[in-house]
Amino acid sequence: MNKPLHPLTMWIWSLTLSIGVVVLDNAWVALATVGVAVLFVRARSDGSPWNATFWWSLRFGAFVITIRVLIGILIGIPIPGTVLFTLPILDLPSWMSGIRVGGAVTLERLSSSVHEGIIIATMIALFGAASALTSPHKLLRVLPVFIYEVGVTLVIAASVFPQLTQSVKRIRKAQYMRGIEKVSLRSIALPLLEETLTRSLQLAQSMDSRGYGASRKRSRYRPAPWIARDSWYVISAVVAATVMVAA
Amino acid sequence: MIKFSNVSLIYPHSTKTVLEDLNCEIQEGEMVLVMGQTGSGKSSLLRLINGLVPHHTGGILAGDISVDGLSTRELKPGALAHLVGIVGQNPINGFVTDVVEEEIAFGMEALNFAPDVMRKRVEEVLDLLSLNAVRSRAISSLSGGEQQRVAIAAALVMHPKVLVLDEPTSALDPIAAEEVLSVLHRLVHDLSVTVIMAEHRLERVIQFVDRIIYIEGNGETSIGSAEEILSKSELVPPIIRLARALNLSELGTSVREVRRLTTDIRNIPVADIDSATRTHLPAIDVDSLTVKYGAQTALRDVSTSVGRGEIVALMGRNGAGKSSLLEAIVGVLKPSSGAVRVYEQNPAELAGKNRRERIGYVPQEPSDLLYHQSVRQECQEADLQAGLKDGTTLSFLDKLVPRISHDAHPHDLSEGQRLALVLSIVLSGDPQLLILDEPTRGLDYQAKTLFTRALKEYASRLNYPVLLATHDVELVAELVDRVIFLAEGEIVADGSTLDVLLSSPAFAPQVAKIMAPQPWLTVDHVVSALAEKL
Repeated sequence: MNKPLHPLTMWIWSLTLSIGVVVLDNAWVALATVGVAVLFVRARSDGSPWNATFWWSLRFGAFVITIRVLIGILIGIPIPGTVLFTLPILDLPSWMSGIRVGGAVTLERLSSSVHEGIIIATMIALFGAASALTSPHKLLRVLPVFIYEVGVTLVIAASVFPQLTQSVKRIRKAQYMRGIEKVSLRSIALPLLEETLTRSLQLAQSMDSRGYGASRKRSRYRPAPWIARDSWYVISAVVAATVMVAA
Repeated sequence: MIKFSNVSLIYPHSTKTVLEDLNCEIQEGEMVLVMGQTGSGKSSLLRLINGLVPHHTGGILAGDISVDGLSTRELKPGALAHLVGIVGQNPINGFVTDVVEEEIAFGMEALNFAPDVMRKRVEEVLDLLSLNAVRSRAISSLSGGEQQRVAIAAALVMHPKVLVLDEPTSALDPIAAEEVLSVLHRLVHDLSVTVIMAEHRLERVIQFVDRIIYIEGNGETSIGSAEEILSKSELVPPIIRLARALNLSELGTSVREVRRLTTDIRNIPVADIDSATRTHLPAIDVDSLTVKYGAQTALRDVSTSVGRGEIVALMGRNGAGKSSLLEAIVGVLKPSSGAVRVYEQNPAELAGKNRRERIGYVPQEPSDLLYHQSVRQECQEADLQAGLKDGTTLSFLDKLVPRISHDAHPHDLSEGQRLALVLSIVLSGDPQLLILDEPTRGLDYQAKTLFTRALKEYASRLNYPVLLATHDVELVAELVDRVIFLAEGEIVADGSTLDVLLSSPAFAPQVAKIMAPQPWLTVDHVVSALAEKL
């Protein structure tokens, strides 16, 4: 197995590239960056439960693009150009004069929506890649124990959120088996809230009783040194980002 | 090692004193059991030892607790981390990292141990708890017993003088529980670690403990040897009930001791218990059922049937396919091949009200079904859904647990009361089949007796079947007519409770171990068999 990267490497890599993508604002380059991220994640995934984060972030990205395009079609600033089709214009009260719902949908308007969607989705995918390859747990270990509460909060967030989906699935299944098909927010949210709260408190107690924050300095069981390869990753990302910004 | 001096504890907004004027001293290398009814304050007592109560939970504490000369009054739990290792009720909720090795090292990292020391200690503790094979696995992929061992390892690696465990075996099958307990036994005897634990399943732990702290629920506590406490207590394991029923001269806590005391009773020749199997009209039919999750096979070619009025237990290790079989019978899991019929109907076609009338289902976490503000509202909702007269469910609940407050919030109830509430809601519409997934986790003996009575009454009054998945051997012996034993997704044994439980020593209940080779599983069996003789 290849040696793990330094926990900060992927985060710096993602951050620099996403700055580049945003400044350049080119959908093709953005898609190419996502492609690179896909290759990266495939090559470096180590079978940890966090690896799935990236594929979820891709799905979420696709969802964002869809929403952006739908909004672009319905409520858009009219951009002149090739008219694809025309939607009926909704009559709005006079005080909402700046907004128009419906109207002519032009190719230009559609493509600008898609374009914006892609840029946002790319950023989501880049951060998905970073968290897929370095779990927040690992990241936390290289950060100094600045403030005890911040550390505890981060660990709780990092542990409880992935469990949320599982809990929701379990509760829904239990209720479905009971014959409660009408899913109301309340019937899921209340058991979920109780469980999440209990879990967070127990985790905080566990961290506390195991001495988290008792010592200002922490040692590392598996030191993750910053080696030449980490530098290469970061340098290549910085170079790519600089090219994008300069272009 | 641990000294409680005049300790009293009360939580704000509560009228009940948890502990009042507790005085006791626990020596090094002692193994102490904390027992009491559910919700009596066992966990609070345990967490007083490293200061989680009151530093984390609030509460008003009087008196002083000192551990190895350090007072928990001034020190926060973190400052006692090198001295007290604590393993919570659900270890999975206390894990901080993803991987076994990192989890074990977490505490040492926090206390800034040198890397070479950490390396050595992690190796030691991996060997001690036989975790070497899973050292680089993700914790979420381990079985319940393995997770429990990881939690113990993570506490032990700090070389604590005191190890505190809250219900270490409640979620485990009998074999995994035995593994964990034998590790604890070894720690006490080889390393002189002081172990304090709370546990409901006394039959599992009673033979190992030196002393018992009994919390009576009204603030009173009594401390003494196992024999002293159990001779007066209402919460007793089958082994003590047997001694009481037979009027033995002394109480024994291990199978060996009681066997010596009952030699002559075992030798009385007794006619075989009438084991003629009643024939039942079939209610559930499972026909060569196979269930696959992706590449994994959860159930392989399972065929069985459950008759009306039968109470059947599904047993087997964690991950043997018990839940999958229950889910397939309820109809939420699609079989890859084969079929399930419930009263000649495909359960997957049932929905909503129809499903509630056919199948009553109690999930592993009963609170998953509770989402109203009070017990009364939950019961009213159940009446409404089942089309019953207002108050039916509530009066059913009152019969089951007489002293339950109708205005209490469901999440403030004790585990036993919560299960009773869910059971009342599910049973209110008299469903034609009752399915329960691990119903007795965290229940004390009294709650279990109530529960057993309610299920037996349901099965015999309506002549409907009950199917439950459980690890609780004693419950199975008391309640169940037939046991289906699953392993790796296949049925490996299916027969009367007597045959299945007696065929495997790990799954034999306490009374059966004492009375072997006589075929008696429970105290009642023994008493009724002997009564004919006397």
